[in-house]
Amino acid sequence: MRVGDIATGRSGDKGDILDLSLVATDKASYELLHKHLTPEYVEKMVYPALKSKVQRYEVPGLNALKFVFPTALPGGVYASMHAGLHWQKAAIWFLLDHEFNPQ
Amino acid sequence: MSTSSLACRVGSGAGFAGDRIDPAVRLVQSGEIDTIALECLAERTLVPAIKARTDNPHAGFDPRLERRLTPLLPAAHKKNCRIVSNLGAANPVAAGEAITKLSYKLGIKGQRVAALQGDDVMALQSQVKWIRPITGKLIGAHAYLGCKKISQALEEGAHVVVTGRVADSALFAAPARAHLSNLEDALAGALTVGHLLECGGQLTGGNYEPIAGATKPPPLSAHDYAQLGYPLAKVYADGTADISVLKDAPGIVDAITCTLQLLYEVHDPARYITPDLIVDFSNIKFESIGRNTIRMTGAKSKGLPPTLKVAGFVEHPGFLVDIEIGFAGEGALARALNAADVLRYRLNNWAPDTISIDVVGLNSVLGAKSKPHRGDPVELRVHISAQCETAMDAQSVEDEIYSLTLSGPAGGCSVRSEKRNRLEVLDGYIQASSVPSQLIWSQS
Repeated sequence: MRVGDIATGRSGDKGDILDLSLVATDKASYELLHKHLTPEYVEKMVYPALKSKVQRYEVPGLNALKFVFPTALPGGVYASMHAGLHWQKAAIWFLLDHEFNPQ
Repeated sequence: MSTSSLACRVGSGAGFAGDRIDPAVRLVQSGEIDTIALECLAERTLVPAIKARTDNPHAGFDPRLERRLTPLLPAAHKKNCRIVSNLGAANPVAAGEAITKLSYKLGIKGQRVAALQGDDVMALQSQVKWIRPITGKLIGAHAYLGCKKISQALEEGAHVVVTGRVADSALFAAPARAHLSNLEDALAGALTVGHLLECGGQLTGGNYEPIAGATKPPPLSAHDYAQLGYPLAKVYADGTADISVLKDAPGIVDAITCTLQLLYEVHDPARYITPDLIVDFSNIKFESIGRNTIRMTGAKSKGLPPTLKVAGFVEHPGFLVDIEIGFAGEGALARALNAADVLRYRLNNWAPDTISIDVVGLNSVLGAKSKPHRGDPVELRVHISAQCETAMDAQSVEDEIYSLTLSGPAGGCSVRSEKRNRLEVLDGYIQASSVPSQLIWSQS
């Protein structure tokens, strides 16, 4: 199952910090993502494209999870070594495109 | 609808310095709002403004001020709608004078403009606690001010309030502030509305891909995006609010778009820190009460933050270069991959963490986690970014790309090269009581 089949999301940032939000379609999808997307799992999942610890925040009332990567964008937007500025606006697809086994 | 009395009707006219100008004009002309707030100042937008002010004491505000306000001021004057914006950037007082001059030129008489001064804490830098030691040259330091003085200006009759660095949410919460109940949770609600509105079209269907499911809205067309309505809110005295978009404007306002914007860039949703309050979003609820209308309830205060945040701008020597060369036609993929390898041979003396070589169209955005491509892309661009100590180093990297046109795989084309200074934004903290702020008035 693709994460993006049961959730949508958005990328944000502040300085060195990458901040990803996922919102599930319903409570069951939220529970599924909550179970599978542990901080350790997500940290491994995005490595080596992102080299950072992950802090996860839960907002069950809104079926939402947040994943905050404190050292993913060293030096911030203008120090990026990617082509152009603001590559991180697409970083949510690290999560949305991830395939996992819902069992 | 809330049973609580209406505190204000506020619209979102811009979410960044370069945002569209027409959505704000449409909101004001609708008569549906009493105040339009425009967020026009990203962290780094302050840097060119600081430099402009150094060269000319009457400059240093948003260079788009005249273009943005020329259509907005007459519409706001006609509809008795107030304007709040941070387009004062590094020089809000000069911005206030410029707005008064512009209004005079536009034939608007008796308009009162208040400029909020005090966010520039460069002179107070000894009192700032930085999160890391400063290793380069500090060129500016600005504290994030709250909504109290902006609210005061509006209550004292300002038609326009112009600021420098304030919390984005403060711009939108200010018109409600004086009309809220005394509960801290009411202000928490107004600040939450501010956070929802501060990114303009990102609340109303922009930067949003709906997902499958029973509640999936119809997708926005190119024409819808081109004419996207920006959000507005009715904020009630208890801090609850109805969030919507003009009835005749394209957009999506539903529980998902509101949730995405609520959580955007806040890190810990139980501790959204603003200069006015720490807000807890844990119990926020979004309930549909009509087409494209969401009722927001449940914001809670977690008390005053101990300090104000400060953004410091630190210049470092050297440059970051960002260069690309294109390949097209049959075999473009093989030639682009080959060219990237040529560059890896030619630049193998660079430390790995100071240079990045990849291919736009394959892996320049998501890097090692890009999906495998399906079929051969027919046009690609080979990209290098490099951290260069000197302008000569930057030139040598650019020259290596250009040399591919004569000595690399066939058809290297469409070279684009950018070079930017190395600038760090450093966070710091300062006691709020150390940062005096005042309103400077002018009138057309």
